[in-house]
Amino acid sequence: MRRVLVVLSGLLLVAILVQFYFAAVGAFDRPQDDDSFALHSITGMMIIPLLSILTGVAAALARAPGRLIGMSFAPLGLVVVQVLIIVVGNVISGGSDEDTSAASLFVFGLHAVNALLLGGAAAAVFRRARAFAAEKTTVDAPQPTVTPAA
Amino acid sequence: MSTAQLIALDLLATLLAAAGWVGAGVAAAARRARVALALLAVAVVVTLVRVTTAVALATGGWWFAQDRVVLTGPLLGVAGLAAVLTAGPRLLSAARAGTPGNSPAAVVPLLVAGYAAAAGLLFPFLVGYPATWGDVLVTVALVAAAGLVTWRVAGSGPPLWTFVPILAMGLAGVGAGFVTGADLDAGGGPESRHPAGHGVSVADLRGPTTPAPGGQVRRYEFTARRTTVQVGGRAVEAWGYNGQVPGPPITANQGDLVEVTLHNADIERGVTLHWHGYDVPAAEDGAPGVTQDAVPPGGEYVYRFRADQVGTYWYHTHQASDVGVKMGLYGTLVVGPPPRGVDVTLPVHTFGSDTVAGVAALPEAAPGTPVRLRLVNTDGVPHRFTLTGTAFRLVAVDGTDLNEPGEVREVELRLPAGGRYDLAYTMPSGEVALFVDGEALLGAGDAPKGWPEHDITRYGAPAATPFGPESRFDRSFTLVLDRGFALVDGVPRYAFTVNGRAFPNVPTQLVREGDLVEMTVANRGLDTHPWHLHGHRVLVLERDGQRVSGSPLWLDTFDVRPGEVWRVAFRADNPGAWMNHCHNLAHAAQGMALHLEYEGVTTPFHGGHGG
Repeated sequence: MRRVLVVLSGLLLVAILVQFYFAAVGAFDRPQDDDSFALHSITGMMIIPLLSILTGVAAALARAPGRLIGMSFAPLGLVVVQVLIIVVGNVISGGSDEDTSAASLFVFGLHAVNALLLGGAAAAVFRRARAFAAEKTTVDAPQPTVTPAA
Repeated sequence: MSTAQLIALDLLATLLAAAGWVGAGVAAAARRARVALALLAVAVVVTLVRVTTAVALATGGWWFAQDRVVLTGPLLGVAGLAAVLTAGPRLLSAARAGTPGNSPAAVVPLLVAGYAAAAGLLFPFLVGYPATWGDVLVTVALVAAAGLVTWRVAGSGPPLWTFVPILAMGLAGVGAGFVTGADLDAGGGPESRHPAGHGVSVADLRGPTTPAPGGQVRRYEFTARRTTVQVGGRAVEAWGYNGQVPGPPITANQGDLVEVTLHNADIERGVTLHWHGYDVPAAEDGAPGVTQDAVPPGGEYVYRFRADQVGTYWYHTHQASDVGVKMGLYGTLVVGPPPRGVDVTLPVHTFGSDTVAGVAALPEAAPGTPVRLRLVNTDGVPHRFTLTGTAFRLVAVDGTDLNEPGEVREVELRLPAGGRYDLAYTMPSGEVALFVDGEALLGAGDAPKGWPEHDITRYGAPAATPFGPESRFDRSFTLVLDRGFALVDGVPRYAFTVNGRAFPNVPTQLVREGDLVEMTVANRGLDTHPWHLHGHRVLVLERDGQRVSGSPLWLDTFDVRPGEVWRVAFRADNPGAWMNHCHNLAHAAQGMALHLEYEGVTTPFHGGHGG
């Protein structure tokens, strides 16, 4: 299960890197339309949240420290923040079909800043998952010696 | 503060509440009792703020707050109170004594309150309106399951069998979600659908075959085919009636008979002709799966109707209309006496990033010539127009003349998707230019900036209407527009929903001929929804509780923006089965559509999607 945890957290990190790539694809797509950010939307709304949940579940099943389990869900929470940034920006603009204003662009720009936090969180989860897997043994079995974190 | 802003504020407060509760739990687990106490205090304050925003939302309409009031608010209230009562004293004594304070009895309740807050944040996005019993069971089960898992991870968790009732609760909720509710909405009126079993088929509700006395027959042959058009200097693949984009303009005098024979050369997905805003007999309406079958390649359908309504209208395909209209299957229909002066119809359409108006330039005219510009928005999103160089009157909206429209200048006209504005002015000696969304559409110059939006609900003078806000209505329907997971044609999708359901599962509205019908449309989502009822023009009664104070507004398409509530009414005087849908056709294709049927009218068409 520890190996599964490492693989899942690695996939989560890769998905976030790919997500940056899809963001650029959307930004440079011509003509700019509803489909420009389709790949970005699917990855962001489905794949990253799913991998975040699976990583957290794997961490729990592997009896990882509570901190690692909790951190595994951090990308999920930050994705919600990503969506909220768009929502709040659209509200400031007056709707998703309206022109942006300086105030709404200020908010929209935070989408990229929060994305860096997302990447950082996923990287930290991956690093800790690897360290946890390397602890003591590589035997992929329940570890009765590991004390539950509390 | 507008409802849309309140929705955003409420979501932000919920996010902060979730962050506060989770943060307090994490701090407690990390043996930082003082930090945990501080975060707990923040979480309590933000949670109380969230109660305020939820109450404020309810004042804009129950629909905006329903999920907060019946589910996510109480859930967070209970979890938060439990967290304060169990974790609070432990953290306090730990902070005083300088001990860690990381016992599961402190950590777990705080995190569970965080999960409850997170559920309140996600619910409006994933489920929306309304929160049903099934949704309540699933949400509570998910939060409880997450709490149990946390408790076990934290150490002294309860035995595994405690998951069983929670699993049962979740499954019961999922099962309840599959129970399809009523398929009919009688709007508070009688429910007999086909009295005495003698229904009339919608296919038999054809138009007259002769013009009114003095009128003539206007015959057109349309063949829908693939074609290539030049847009902004590049060749674009398109679909067009007779290979033209826009299709051939149809003009008629009042009382003429319009007869259009539609052929399909090579549009594999099929085509129809829908007369947008024109109250034709049902069988001429062109709604596939409702009033006819789509015309396949090689097929044919003849449309006939009397040109009784004067004004600016348009036609477009209604089969796979999301794609078909975008590709170019649209054109204009203008009915009226021969024009005086310059009269030009501008079907505005966007191909990729280029917005075109069907003509290359505004017509040349000597100063003093009367000019009428008929703006038609054939796209799925609203367009904002500005006219420079002259004052003008907005003389008609959606084909119907306004009462005593005054002269305006330096205003921005926001035209909903599918809507029409007729602008009239006298040609000045200088240049006139038309801009759309901040870009020159016809004429040159810099787009004006910062012009205020023209409010059509306060423009022109009031006039008598056959019914109004105080009328007694035979039926009242409410449509709450939102997003959420729902079945669209049997496939679970992140859909655009009406009352929590997506086409074809939205209950059909039932009316009886002669009924006076009231329709309230509330937008709980974050996108604009141009609402369009086929076969009837509706009289606007109120927007956000404010009555129309200017000219009466008879519309076929009205923009319900995020957080807005429109109350409109119509007389059920055109028997048939009609589509009632969002005219952002991508939204309609993703579920935001339903049927309105007259008692005693049956449809033999099945399998089509009406879209």
